[in-house]
Amino acid sequence: MNLNSNSYVLTFAVGMCVVVSATLAFVANNLRPIQESAAEFDRQKNVMVAAGLCEPTDARPRAELEKLYQDRVQEFVVDTKDGTVVQGKSPKDVTELNKAAAKADKKDEARYRVVATTRADGKIESVVLPISGKGLWSTIYGYLALESDIDHVRGVTFYKHGETPGLGGECENPVWCATWRGKSILDEQGKLVGVGVKKGHVDPNVPAEKAHKVDGLSGATITSNGITKFVLADLQAFDTYLASLRK
Amino acid sequence: MTATSTPAVAKPGLFGKEEISAVKDPLWDNNPIALQVLGICSALAVTTRLDKAIVMGIGVTFVTAMANVVISLLRNFIPNKIRIIVQLVVVSGVVIVFDQLLRAYMFDLSKQLSVFVGLIITNCIVMGRLEAYAMQNPPWRSFLDGIGNGLGYAWILAVVATVREILGSGKLFGVQLVPQALYDAGYTNNGLMVLAPGAFLLLGVIVWVQRAISGYVEK
Repeated sequence: MNLNSNSYVLTFAVGMCVVVSATLAFVANNLRPIQESAAEFDRQKNVMVAAGLCEPTDARPRAELEKLYQDRVQEFVVDTKDGTVVQGKSPKDVTELNKAAAKADKKDEARYRVVATTRADGKIESVVLPISGKGLWSTIYGYLALESDIDHVRGVTFYKHGETPGLGGECENPVWCATWRGKSILDEQGKLVGVGVKKGHVDPNVPAEKAHKVDGLSGATITSNGITKFVLADLQAFDTYLASLRK
Repeated sequence: MTATSTPAVAKPGLFGKEEISAVKDPLWDNNPIALQVLGICSALAVTTRLDKAIVMGIGVTFVTAMANVVISLLRNFIPNKIRIIVQLVVVSGVVIVFDQLLRAYMFDLSKQLSVFVGLIITNCIVMGRLEAYAMQNPPWRSFLDGIGNGLGYAWILAVVATVREILGSGKLFGVQLVPQALYDAGYTNNGLMVLAPGAFLLLGVIVWVQRAISGYVEK
């Protein structure tokens, strides 16, 4: 057989592609359920990290952390339009609810969102809000946890993104996330201003900066600006709900 | 390259002289990092922590061995004109399988290794072994050659990562090693070790020491 004839080369190339793609599809399909459960656990862990229940590098085994999540975290659906908790719906239903809402009005495609709370002695200890939006290359997903005063930040995590490792990807760095702690989302008049990322360092002598800004990520201005923008947008969406909690 | 790349007459037995040298040579005498200076970029990127370096080493070993076997099995059927593309397709396929496995079973580490697992595809060691060894040698020996080269890469990564993690973060496998008392006495972690230039310096030292001991001279 002539290994260099055009027909042989073509046949070999096509055969190769078919075999390799079939193998990959088979592997990906079989691993998907395990990957999804791993991703869901990672999400739950990040809720707990934001709420201060565990560390990002917690050495406890997965089963123990899953139990901690079940014991301490309550997740429920919030209607951001009127700021009420939707009764009788579980977080699993949120995609369906949003689809139905988007059908009625295109702007309502993210009307229903899942919020988590942790309680201590029956009182709210922290409120964990989902935050997400565009960075430079990708949509960034994270959690912002507020203290029981619904004003100060208890913790923040960014757990899913496709930003450049070492630059924008540093948004998941626990050291940077820790600088969000204690920042306030309300100004002195009680108006929502959010927490923003400043380009460069925060000047501790400027009260407005000290209260509402964190240091920027070097080499990642667009990621930083994106985070500032979507954190504020998401806080605005939850404004009515948060106001109802403050009462 | 060296003697390992010349096709030899097949000998009986699973571990003949050829087979043993296929594994042993790349560990020291013909180390892919220290002597051939291949695979440097990932050696700089993933050696901030020992667990990352070990998983990366396992990944490269797995990919080199598997791709070597597949290419070796196909070596008499691969049209010469498209052999590099065929090698790339096989390497990419194996890397994607490894990446998917990591995502399923070691989610945290796969997040930290991020793009670098995918970049094994471009690791020169893998392509180098396919082109220099697997294209001329039978599957079993190619498999051993892949294991040998992967491990030769892995042990250097592990050494670099051990030094970087201890000096840079005071930890090993994420466990605090340097006692708090030392920090209280004024000791600080070496920030350079956390960054890529630290790895670059260390790698240079390792290449130097390795070559001094093995007596290798640049021709």
